[in-house]
Formats: sequence, structure tokens, C-alpha cells
Amino acid sequence: MAAIERKADANPTKAFFVRIITKDISLEDCILDLIDNSVDGAWRCEGSRPIGLQDGTDLSKYSIMIEATPDKFSIIDNCGGMSLDDAVEHAFSFGREATEDHDDYSIGVYGIGMKRAVFKLGGNIRVRSTYDDKGTRSAFAVPINVSKWLSNDKPPWDFDIEEDELLPNNGVEIVVQELTPGAAGAFESPAFLQGLRRTIARDYALHLNRGLRISLNGSEISGWKIELRQSEDFQPMRLEYKDKADNEEVSIEIIGGMAAPPPESNDPEEEADNEKQPHGWYVVCNGRIVLAGDKTAISGWGTDDWPNWHPQYAGFIGIILFTAANAAALPLTTTKRSVDITSDIYRRARPKMREVSTKWIAYTNQRKQAADEAKAKEALAVPVSIYSVAKRATVALPALVSRPAGERLANVHYSVPVSRLKKLAKELGGINMSNREVGLKSFNYTYDDLVGGE
Amino acid sequence: MGSFNVVNYSLRPSKSVQRQIIFEGVRLLHDHLDLDGQVYVGFGSVWFTDFVLAHKLLGIRDMVSIEADDVGFRRAKFNAPYATVRVVHGRSTTVLPELYKDELITNRPWLIWMDFDYEFDESMKDDIRALIENATENSILIATFNGNEMKYGNAPERPERLRELFGSVVPDELSKKACKDERMQQTLADLSLDFMRSVAAEQRRPGGFVPAFRAIYKDTTPMVTVGGILPAKGAARVASDVVKRESWPCWLSKPIVAPHLTTREAAVLQAQLPRAGKLSRALVQSLGFDLEDDQIEAFEAYYKHYPAFAQVIS
Repeated sequence: MAAIERKADANPTKAFFVRIITKDISLEDCILDLIDNSVDGAWRCEGSRPIGLQDGTDLSKYSIMIEATPDKFSIIDNCGGMSLDDAVEHAFSFGREATEDHDDYSIGVYGIGMKRAVFKLGGNIRVRSTYDDKGTRSAFAVPINVSKWLSNDKPPWDFDIEEDELLPNNGVEIVVQELTPGAAGAFESPAFLQGLRRTIARDYALHLNRGLRISLNGSEISGWKIELRQSEDFQPMRLEYKDKADNEEVSIEIIGGMAAPPPESNDPEEEADNEKQPHGWYVVCNGRIVLAGDKTAISGWGTDDWPNWHPQYAGFIGIILFTAANAAALPLTTTKRSVDITSDIYRRARPKMREVSTKWIAYTNQRKQAADEAKAKEALAVPVSIYSVAKRATVALPALVSRPAGERLANVHYSVPVSRLKKLAKELGGINMSNREVGLKSFNYTYDDLVGGE
Repeated sequence: MGSFNVVNYSLRPSKSVQRQIIFEGVRLLHDHLDLDGQVYVGFGSVWFTDFVLAHKLLGIRDMVSIEADDVGFRRAKFNAPYATVRVVHGRSTTVLPELYKDELITNRPWLIWMDFDYEFDESMKDDIRALIENATENSILIATFNGNEMKYGNAPERPERLRELFGSVVPDELSKKACKDERMQQTLADLSLDFMRSVAAEQRRPGGFVPAFRAIYKDTTPMVTVGGILPAKGAARVASDVVKRESWPCWLSKPIVAPHLTTREAAVLQAQLPRAGKLSRALVQSLGFDLEDDQIEAFEAYYKHYPAFAQVIS
């Protein structure tokens, strides 16, 4: 059969490529990618050591300043900068990702993250870097005009690199203007900015607690203080061991226990609040929290021998830290926002996570039969920073003596307007009193008034 | 019982000053935005003071007053000042969704003033959210609510209560101090405006939300008035330029506390204004009476909006 001379064009266009890489990532995650690059820079300056809980590295001389307004986004750090080689070879290239070659306890230096982030943010981009080039400070800039860049699909797909003035400190400055409607809209929203602030405080808690300074629109973010309760009866577990993924050594640390007493009520509205509580499992890869407060099958809930998450289990926090010189050995998804559940080292860690989780579940079940005793014991447990939790192979929780079943109980359910409930709560002792408490107190009040004491 | 049974609305000087200032602001917006066919939606009560201003000052024809109280509804219908005022019976939460679908007024810019006398609560939040989601472009949304700190629980409970009310816009570091005394009204104003901006941004309203109104006033209890413009995409810049001007009257850093003066005192003081220097206490004394310094300052600041009340004997 004779071939037709014309060929179907299968070359990708830049616009298609940009759409694909920016489509499935949220704006917040893009900003976190940029912060990751800065954090990795700081860590490299400090000699790229493993980032476990014990390590006392002081990061207080590093700062990352983020400005996000409807007109402009910028991130400026003093974390050492990216070298010209890094820019030429990795940071701006498509397809020549070299994260696997890095051996520096990073979580992915200049992978797809930076390009994806800036394309997601806007159309007029300028990346500047000042770095130490064998003892001499050097600088360059990469200006990107997205619409101009997209207008020509002919290879090679490169970006111009120009000489630039030195920045005040070695570091990277990224300024994005002509923001995309999505970015401009989000930066207009105080709720988005508060949410971003909260996510940064949580996901970089380990870095912020070591002194790293991150600010958003001029105000500094303080890291989440992760604490577990400790007393004679309550002892969190803290376990360390090593594993191997493709011959790469990975250090693993698991900490888990009671962060707050379990809730009193299973009221649907209070359950909704419960979802916002920071309880559940945290997975940390090379210092960065990649999965926070997980209550799903990813951390094991609802899988074999492990029940689905239930609000009754609130109060529990478990943290598992994976540390490896080579980021490829970590159980990380490419978006760096979740865990690769097919990872062998993660699968092998799960039974240890299950053990502490199921002990907590058993405690909260037992607790229902001996609430007063449990509450008294819980009140004695004091918050202790996770950094100072002592090593202990298993969690210790009090053994409660369950009371024999007494009189049959009746459940009362009714609905009233929220405004009236709030007013009554205020009169009964506190505007934030739970619905259940208001119900019980008003029942007791009416009972005492109409029926009298027993 | 509706509050019209408790307070004669027209006798609250600070409220009256505040109302005048807000309408002055809306009048300025009329010069710059396409507000043709604007509809006024409010809580006219039985007094309709704001409706009269909307008609006389802004030339608004079609107006809707929402009244929840049964007796109040019948009285409101009786007292409606113009033929084009429609009184609708029900709570705003149930009436507003009907109005979004009302062919007569939908697709026209609204000036809606949710002038509540109670504290910011869950249903008010729902109303504001729905209004921002449904309002036609170039609508103006204003909300007034009670800013008395005690309405939001005892001091230690307030930050949590505000978190419950305003959700994720509340900073994690909101302090008890920010919820005490005069700071409380400032905090409420800031959070409610942040809430409005966030709702508009979440919903990607093409022109966003331009905060434009922020006034605290006090007759007996401190009240908070906040609001803004929901401009058409092309009008956002113009709207934001107008409200950023030095002369924009509706963004007040200090609360309006208008002194209670007799008609005679007000007239004598007014005759001294405007003047080059400040009105002094010595000058007031030389006029034959006396006032506290803060009363003199407040009168000088708001004399152009100071109401004249007189008893009508009939």
C-alpha cells in the first residue's frame, strides 16, 4: 500500500503542555512547591543533614517572604540561591528532571514544581537568583512572558537567561505579575490567605520550630506546636527504626498518643467541627508534612482490622517521619501532597501505625462505660512537645474499670433555632457550650424546678 | 416584639447621622456607576426613614421592605410612604430567596441595607452569603448589626464565638483583647468585611467585592455598619477608586457618638460653623451654655448631618 506523503502532526504545543502541568494542582500546592524550593536551599546551606526530630539545626538566619495581592505575587528568600547550572540543567527544563540524582535530604529540588507554580500564578514572570559561584557571588535572571513564549511552539523550548544585579542576599526572588484570574481571585480573599497561612504553619512546623522565618503579606507565621498529653497513665509511643527502599536507607520515626481528650458528643454539627480538628495521622517526608490529620484509608482507617474513622476517636494524633538522603526513596506522591500507598516502606510501617491507633480506639470504647474515671485521668495528663517525648515501644493508656449497666436511658432529640440556642447557652453559662450540654442543662434545670431533687 | 415598639427610630441622633453619611456615599456612587433602575431593599419598619431618603436623595422608585412581625407587617403596609414601596411579610432568610427570583426587580442593581438591631448571627451570615452570591452586578450591600461585646459571650468565649460566626477569615491569633470594649466593634467590622470579600472571591464574582462602608455608631448600644459594592467586571476599578478617595465619607475610623442637644443648642452651635479654628469649650460657654469636650468635637464633625427633631402636637 502506498504511503501518503503527508503526516499527522503529533508534536505537542506549549499551551497544551502548560495546561496539563497546571491543571491538577491547586494554587495553594503551587505556593508550597515554591516554599519547598526555598526550604531545600536553606537545608543545603546547612550541610544537608537528615531532618529528624532530634536534630537541633538552627534555621533562624533563613527567611522566606511571600507577598500575595490581587496584582502581584512574590516570594523572596535568602536561602542560598540556585546556581546557573541548576537553572540551565534542571529548574527551567522540561523532561530533564534530576531530582533522583540529588542526595541531600531535599524533597525535590527544582523539579516540575517551580515552572508549574509560576505558570499557574500568572503571565509575566521574573525569576532572579544570586548564589555563591566558587567563592564569587553571581547573579542571573530568567524573565518569562508567558503569552509570548506560548506563541512559538518550535523547539527548542527554552527560556532566556540574562545577567542581573546581585540581590542583597544569596537567594531567589520570584515576581509574578499579570496574575491568572484564579490567582488574583484567591489573593483577594482573606479566607484563602488565612487558609494558606494555616497550611504553612502546619506543613512547615518542623522547620518553623527550628527558627526558619516565613512571612505572608508582612506578618510572620509561627509554626504549629505539636503536643501530646503525658502523665503516669498516658504515655505516647515513640519508636525509631531503619528500613530500605531500593537499597536506599530510610529512617523512620513514629510518635502517637493523646493530643486532647476525646469528645463528649456525637452531635452531627459538632461532628462537622470535629472534621476540622487536627487529629488523625501525619506523614512527614524529609521534614515536610505531606499528609496532615488524615482520617482516611491512606493512613489505614477503614482498611483490614482497622475501623473507619469515627468522631469518637478524636483526640488522637500520630506522626510518622520518613527521612532519606534520596527523595526518591520516600513514600511521596509526585504532587508531594500525599503518600504513595503502594510504597513498600510505607506498607511495612502501617502495622505499627495500626497498633497505636487500635489501642486508642479500644480506649475510647472503654471510656464510654467509665467516663468520669476517664475524665479525671485525662485531666492529669499535661501537654508535652513531641520533641521531648521519651522513647517507648508502645503507647500506654489507662485501664478503666467499667461500671455495671444501670437504669435504662432515654435519648432526647429536638431542633430549635440556633439563635435561641445561643441565647440560652449564654444564660446557662457559656455561649460556646455544646448543643448537647445546653440540652442536658435545660433538662436538669426544668427537672429540678418542676419535679424537684431526688 | 419588634424594636419599633421600643425605640422611635427617628429620635436617635447617631443613627440618623450614620444614615445620612451612608446615603451620601451611595449618592456619590451614583455619579460613577451604572445604577439605573436601582431597587432599594430594606427593613423599613413602621418609620421608613431610609426609604424616604432613598427616594428623595437617590431617586429610587421601586422599593421592598421586609417585615417579620405580624402586627408590624400590617402597620408597615399602612405607613408605607410611597406607592412604589412593597412590604413583604416574613424573615429576611425566607423572603430574600423569593426576591432573587422576582421578575420585577431581578436583573436590576439593588441597594440593600440589612439594618438589623440584634447581633451578627448564623442566619445573618447566611443572608449575607446568599446576597453576595445572588446580587446583580453593581448592587450595593450594607449590613448593620449590634456590636455590643456582651452579645458575643463573656470575654474569654468571644474569640471562639467569632470563629464560629465568621469561619476561616478569623486569624488564629485573634486575642481576647481584640474582642473587648471599643476594639470589639472594630474587630466585628473587619471580620464581617473580610467575610464578604472572601465569599465574593470564592464565588469568583467577576468584579469581586469592593469594601466601601465601615461605620460604628452609638446611641445607647454600639452598632456596626459594614458593606460594599458588588461591581460589574468593568466597574471594579472605578468603584474602588471612588471609595479610596480622601473625601469618601463612609469609611470612619472613629465611632459616631452624636450628642443629644436641644434644638436651640444645636441651632446656636451650627451658626458658629463652619469656622477656621476648632469650636472650643470656652466659646460654647460664651454662648451661654456648656458641653463636654467630646460632645463639642462630635457636633463639629457631624453638624451637617445632625438631625433636627421637634415634637409635633396634633
